[in-house]
Amino acid sequence: MPAFLRKNEAPAAPAPAPETVTRTARPRAARDPFRLRALPHDDIFFYCKRIDNSRLVREADPQARGACWSAIGAACLLLVLLTSAFAPTAMTTLAGYKLEALHSEERRLLEERRVLDLQEAELLSPARLDQLAHENNLVTPSSGQVIHLDKPEGEVAMVK
Amino acid sequence: MERRLTWLALVIGMWGAAILANLISLQVIHHREYAGKARAIQEVVVQIPAPRGTIFDRNGQALAMSVSTQSVHVNPQKVPDIGVASELLALVLHLDRAELEAKMRAAYESGRGYLRVKRNITAEEYESLRKMALDWIGIATESQRHYPKGQLAAHVIGGVDFEEKGNAGIEKALENELRGIPGRARMLTDVKRRGIESHEAQEPRTGTAITLTIDERLQFVAEREIAEAVAAHHAASGSVVAMNPYTGDILALASYPTYDPNVPPQPGDDPAARRNHAVSVPFEPGSVFKVITLSAALETTSLNPESPINCNGGKITLYGRTIHDSHAGMGVVPMKTVLARSSNVGAIQVGLKVGQTNMNDYVRRFGFGRRTGIPLPAESAGKVRKLQYWGKTSLPSVSMGQEVSVTTLQLAQAACVIANGGSLVKPRLVLKRGNQLQPVEPPVRILKPDNAITMRQMMEGVVLVGTGSRARLAGYSSGGKTGSAQIFDFATKHYTHTYNGSYMGFAPLTNPAVVVVVTLNGTHGEAGFGGQAAAPVFKVVAGEALRIFDVPKDLPEAEKTRTQVARNEDLDDLAIADLGANGPNILEDGDDDDAPPGAAAAAAAPAPANAAAGTMVVKGPPGPTVPNFRGKTMRDVLAEAAAKGLVILPDGSGIARVQYPAPGTPLHEGDRIRVQFAR
Repeated sequence: MPAFLRKNEAPAAPAPAPETVTRTARPRAARDPFRLRALPHDDIFFYCKRIDNSRLVREADPQARGACWSAIGAACLLLVLLTSAFAPTAMTTLAGYKLEALHSEERRLLEERRVLDLQEAELLSPARLDQLAHENNLVTPSSGQVIHLDKPEGEVAMVK
Repeated sequence: MERRLTWLALVIGMWGAAILANLISLQVIHHREYAGKARAIQEVVVQIPAPRGTIFDRNGQALAMSVSTQSVHVNPQKVPDIGVASELLALVLHLDRAELEAKMRAAYESGRGYLRVKRNITAEEYESLRKMALDWIGIATESQRHYPKGQLAAHVIGGVDFEEKGNAGIEKALENELRGIPGRARMLTDVKRRGIESHEAQEPRTGTAITLTIDERLQFVAEREIAEAVAAHHAASGSVVAMNPYTGDILALASYPTYDPNVPPQPGDDPAARRNHAVSVPFEPGSVFKVITLSAALETTSLNPESPINCNGGKITLYGRTIHDSHAGMGVVPMKTVLARSSNVGAIQVGLKVGQTNMNDYVRRFGFGRRTGIPLPAESAGKVRKLQYWGKTSLPSVSMGQEVSVTTLQLAQAACVIANGGSLVKPRLVLKRGNQLQPVEPPVRILKPDNAITMRQMMEGVVLVGTGSRARLAGYSSGGKTGSAQIFDFATKHYTHTYNGSYMGFAPLTNPAVVVVVTLNGTHGEAGFGGQAAAPVFKVVAGEALRIFDVPKDLPEAEKTRTQVARNEDLDDLAIADLGANGPNILEDGDDDDAPPGAAAAAAAPAPANAAAGTMVVKGPPGPTVPNFRGKTMRDVLAEAAAKGLVILPDGSGIARVQYPAPGTPLHEGDRIRVQFAR
C-alpha cells in the first residue's frame, strides 16, 4: 500500500500526528506571509514497497484448465474443418496446373513420335535400302535360300 | 444515445444494401457480360490436333502420314517498315530478302492482310520469332502431309492439296475417312498464361488409318522394272498389276511415268505422269484377250485343247477384211497351239464357233466393260460394245482382242479367274480401315473348275513352247499369255506401228499365288511386242512376289531346258487388225458397224520372215517316262505310282487334273511327281 508524508512541514516545529493535524487547524497569525499556498495533493509522495510473495501458490482450477483445452480443441477443429473445406479446391487447382502441363507434354510427345515414325519410314524406304544394298554389293537371296527357323521353346522365357 | 445507434444501424444497412445491389447487378443482371469479359481474359482456346489418317502398306510400313508444323505469316498492313521487316525475316528464316520484300510490297499494295512467309519452320526459327513478339508476325500450327517413300505407289496413294484435302488416289477416294477434324479446348489460365483447367469444347476426330493390300517391296520392284522396260523399249507409258488370285488383293499397282507426291504440281508438268495408267487408261488388249476366247470355247463348245483348229496358213478373209497371223502361217493345229503360238486366225476360228452372243456374254462375265469397283478415282470401265452394236467383223475382232478396250487392272482380274479355278474376284485395295479388317467379297463362279485348269495348262504352254518363253521363271511353273496390239491413231484413222505390248500370267501353275499383268504402251518395232518387252517384267515381278511370299518352288532350280523356241519370230503375237482406214475401232466415237472394213490389212501387215519358223526342237527322251495320271482318282493314282515305285505329291482331292512333270517327260531317279486333284 502506498504511504504518503507531508512535504511542507516546518523542520523546527514539532511534528504532529498525521491523523490529527490539519491545515485549517493552524493559526493564521503564525503563517509566513511570503510562503506560497500548497497545491492540491502536493503533499502526497509514492514509493515502492517490496513484498515477498514467493510463498504464495496459485490454487488449482480444473474448470479453467478444461475451458482452456476446450478452446484449443475448438480452434484445432476449426482449423481442420477449414483446411478440409479449402484443401480440395487448392489441390484441384494445383492438379489442374499439373494436368494441363501433362496434356501439353503428351501432345508434344505424340507429335515427336509422329516425326520419328516419319523419319523411320524414310530410312526404311525400299529405294534407299536398294541403294545401300548396291553400294555394299549385297544381293537379294533367291526364293528358298532364306530358311526361317522355328522359334525355340526358351525364347519366351528369355524375353521375360 | 439510442438515436445515434439507430442512425449507425441505418447507415450500415444502407451500405450492405448497396453491396447487395451491386452483387445482384454483377452476378445476375450483368452476369453474362462480365462472365464473357472474364473468360476473354482468363480463357484461351487451344487447338487439339487431329492428324489425317496414316496410310500403311499390308506390312504396316507407313506410305503417307501427317505431322504438325509451324508456319509464319505476316500482316503486311501492320508492318511499320517493309524493308526492315523483310530484312529481319529473311535473316531469321533464311530467305531471300529481295524476293520476300517484293512479295510483302505486293501484298501491301493489294491490300492483303495475310501473307504466308514460310512453312515448316525449324525449332530455332520458331524460338527466334517468338522472342521478337511482334504483333504483325503470326505463327500458326498446321498439319503437313508427308510421303516418306517418295514416288513409291504414288498413283495408288495420290496426294493432297494445300488444305490437306485429297486430290488423287486413295487420298481422294477415302477423303472422308482419312480426314481428321481438329478439336478445341477452352483452357483457364493464370496471369502467367499457365493452364489451370481445360474443357473440351469440340472433341477431335483423328483420321482413320488405312492399311492397303499393297506390299511396298513388290511395289518397288514393279515400279523399278516397268520404268526400266519403258525406257528400254522407248514406250510412252507402262503399268503393272500384281494380285492375289483368291482374295483379289492388289499386291502392287505401278504406273509409269510417275511423280513424287511430296512435290506439288507445277505449271508445265507432264499430266501423263499423274495419270494412273493401270486403272484409268484403257487400251486394246490384243492377243491376251485370246484367253477369254478360248475360255468361252471350253465352256460353250465341245472344243478341247487337242481339238484341231484350221489356221488356214495364217490368213483369213471375212466380209472383205483380211486378217493375218503375225508370224509363220500354221495349218491345222491343236487349240492349245493356237494359244501358245498366238494365232489370230486360229482365235478367230474358235471365236466363230463360240458365237457372238456367247462371246459377248463371257467377255462381260470376265468383268470387261464395267468398273472393277477399286476405290481409286477416275477408274475406266473400258469399252465393250452392246451386242446390238456388234458388226459383222466384231466377233473376229473381239476374238483376237480388238474392238474392245480394257485396263490393266481388268486384265489382272480376268487372269485371276483362270488362276483361282474359275471365280471372278473383286480387286481389293483396302485391307483394313482402322483396325477393322475388310471382308473379301464372295467370288462369282464364271468358269467350271475343269475348264479353268485346262486353261492353266494351255497357258503353261505359252511359256514353255510359245510366245511367252521370256516369262519363264526359275524354280516355278507358270502360265501366261502375251499380247501385242497396234495402236490406233485417231488423227489419221489408221493403225500405227506402235504397239501395246502386254503379258498376263500367274505362278506357280498348280496353286497360283500371284497374278501379274504387265502393259507397255507405245512401244516400237518387234522388240516392243508383249513377249519381248512385257514378259521379262513379269518374270522379275512374279519371281520377286514368290520370293517375298515364300512360295515353295515346284520345279528344280536349274532345270534343263526341255524345249526351246527356235526362232525369234515365234515370239510375235501381234494381233494384226485390218489396217485399212475404214476398219471399225472400239475407241472411235460413232460406231459404224455396218460399214465394210477396208482391205488393206494384208499390205500393211509385216510379212513373215521365214515360213518355216516355228519348228520346235524336242530332245527325244530315252528310258522311262512319267505316266499320265490325268482323269484318274487319287486311289488309282497312288496305286499306280506305288506299283511303279514313283513318289507322288498329291494336292487337293477328286480327279487328277494337272500333273508335273507332264506325261511323257523323261523320268530320273528320285523325281517326284506333283499331281493336283480337283472335283
